[in-house]
Amino acid sequence: MAEEFLVAQDLYKSFNEHKAVNGVSFTIYKGEIFGLLGPNGAGKTTTIRMLTTVLEPDRGHVTVGGHSIRDNADAVRSLIGVCPQELALYEDLSAIDNMVFFGRMVGLDGREARAQAMAHLELMGLVERAMGKVGKFSGGMKRRINLAIALMGHPELLFLDEPTVGIDPQSRNNIYETIEGLRDRGMTILYTTHYMEEADRLCDRIAIIDGGQIIAMDTPYQLKSRIGPLEQVTLEDVFLKLTGRRLRD
Amino acid sequence: MTRPLIVAIKEVRTYLQDKGDLAFSLLLPIAIFALMYGAFGRDFLFHGTAHVVNEDKGGTYSALLLERLDGLEMLDVEMLSSEEADSRLERADVLMVLYIPRDFSDKLTAGEPAQVLFKQRGHGGQQGQIVAGIIRGVAEEMNQKFQVHNQVKNHLAGTNIPEDRIEVTTQKFLDREREHPIVGVREETVGIRPDPVSQFLPGIVTMFVLFAITLSARAIVEERKKGTLERLLTTRLSVGQLFAGKFLACISRGFVQTLILLILAYIVFQLFTPLSFVQALVIAVVFAAAAGAIGLVIASIARSEGGATWIAVFFTMTMVMPGGTFFPIPEDSVIYVISKASINTYANDALNTIIVEGGSLADLGLEMGVLAGVAIAGLVLSRILFKVMPGGR
Repeated sequence: MAEEFLVAQDLYKSFNEHKAVNGVSFTIYKGEIFGLLGPNGAGKTTTIRMLTTVLEPDRGHVTVGGHSIRDNADAVRSLIGVCPQELALYEDLSAIDNMVFFGRMVGLDGREARAQAMAHLELMGLVERAMGKVGKFSGGMKRRINLAIALMGHPELLFLDEPTVGIDPQSRNNIYETIEGLRDRGMTILYTTHYMEEADRLCDRIAIIDGGQIIAMDTPYQLKSRIGPLEQVTLEDVFLKLTGRRLRD
Repeated sequence: MTRPLIVAIKEVRTYLQDKGDLAFSLLLPIAIFALMYGAFGRDFLFHGTAHVVNEDKGGTYSALLLERLDGLEMLDVEMLSSEEADSRLERADVLMVLYIPRDFSDKLTAGEPAQVLFKQRGHGGQQGQIVAGIIRGVAEEMNQKFQVHNQVKNHLAGTNIPEDRIEVTTQKFLDREREHPIVGVREETVGIRPDPVSQFLPGIVTMFVLFAITLSARAIVEERKKGTLERLLTTRLSVGQLFAGKFLACISRGFVQTLILLILAYIVFQLFTPLSFVQALVIAVVFAAAAGAIGLVIASIARSEGGATWIAVFFTMTMVMPGGTFFPIPEDSVIYVISKASINTYANDALNTIIVEGGSLADLGLEMGVLAGVAIAGLVLSRILFKVMPGGR
């Protein structure tokens, strides 16, 4: 039986009167890619912010690698890497300086941070631009740096929040290959995206969240087979059937 | 403890690469100093022009007088023709002119008394009177030398001592007399120079350092806007370490700015001794810490860059206005009481004590205590506020 790595139990989070997350529970097993899908405002980002120790849940309990996010947040942070949806980069600094800085923040010494930064830049095909200022990079290059930073310190659990938004097919393909390579090496990944074919290709299991609640959770295969023959059904059909066609804010 | 340092180093590197911030922080002080130098730099020692009409063309003694005047650092000599001098005096273009008469050298050679003439408009103006005083001093010295030479020569007449030997020996005694005069004049400076630069420098230093409030107020909001704050909060960097790093960066920026200002003051205006330079730097760094901590309090509650900037500007102006930066505050006024709530007051007082009054850090217990207290209290308060604000941690 697969080892449980992240366990979220009955999470709640409200902002004023708005219930952003309303009783979310799920488990991510070691070495799997777990997709968290949902329309805008469904509660994905709030859930991730709680799982990554940025926000404290109003209620509920989360453990990562056996450590509680409430009682031992520092131990949790030492296990996770986060690639946020926004390009969280220092544009005035070079790619290598960005990576070394965040490497130092996750606890690497200077030499190790530099070595890992160069290795990850190579993985992303950016080693020749190591000294270039990030502000001058294209959108695709920034996305790849954004992901490379999340890999600093070799985290055991990686949060990827829409890592392929607004980039060209070449950069997207590079990111897919990187993520598949990470899975092959046993890394556990929580993945969010609005591209359903991307989730279908990469995720071992998917949870669909809407209105702050998980409304379905299974493998892509099982989710699709619930609504029709596999050769005629896409994950997008499943998603639209479950979340409706109403436009969201 | 290394993470706050790494954050601070990253901040300083970013600051050094931001041309706008850099120009504001570093080039503006240099520009202000250039202006100060233009305005006050040449006024420390008297410097005037002696306007001279020399009618004793080719005369030995008129040439000697002019050579002596020209050799004085405080005096420029401008030669005029008689007509030109009269015309300029008439137009009040110059207020005093020295005339050396045609027979000046001939009379002195013949052992007769000779006179120079000061022609002046009204009382000759303040500068004219000083120039006249300097010329009188030179003429008097020449006169004494001339008399001594003649008297010695007359006494030794008929002794077969060569005239050039009498000349050399007399000159030697006169030089010795000049070096060790019977009635000497000693100069003693009390306090540090009361010149305009000394008066303005504390205000300029504190004003620049006070901009640290704006820079540190924006520090957290900028991280939030870039998305890097959230990313940092998922690393092993604690919020306390993040704030400490920002605080150290603020002190470092203040240190760099102040260092430039004080080095300029040291080199251009010779305002400091090595000890007073270090003391002024220490005060500025403690003041930067206090200003940075106030900035972090603003940073912990502000939610937008605009909001942070406006609150910081408001604080800066309310600190500067009653803080004695631009004008001295009379002790019996209401503003004086209000000024006690401004950290600028304590920094200005401390710098004035060092720069203008020649005091030392030992005299500044209250000022340094208040500034250090504000720095520590601000740092603690900012951390508490960041925790209790919505979305804080």
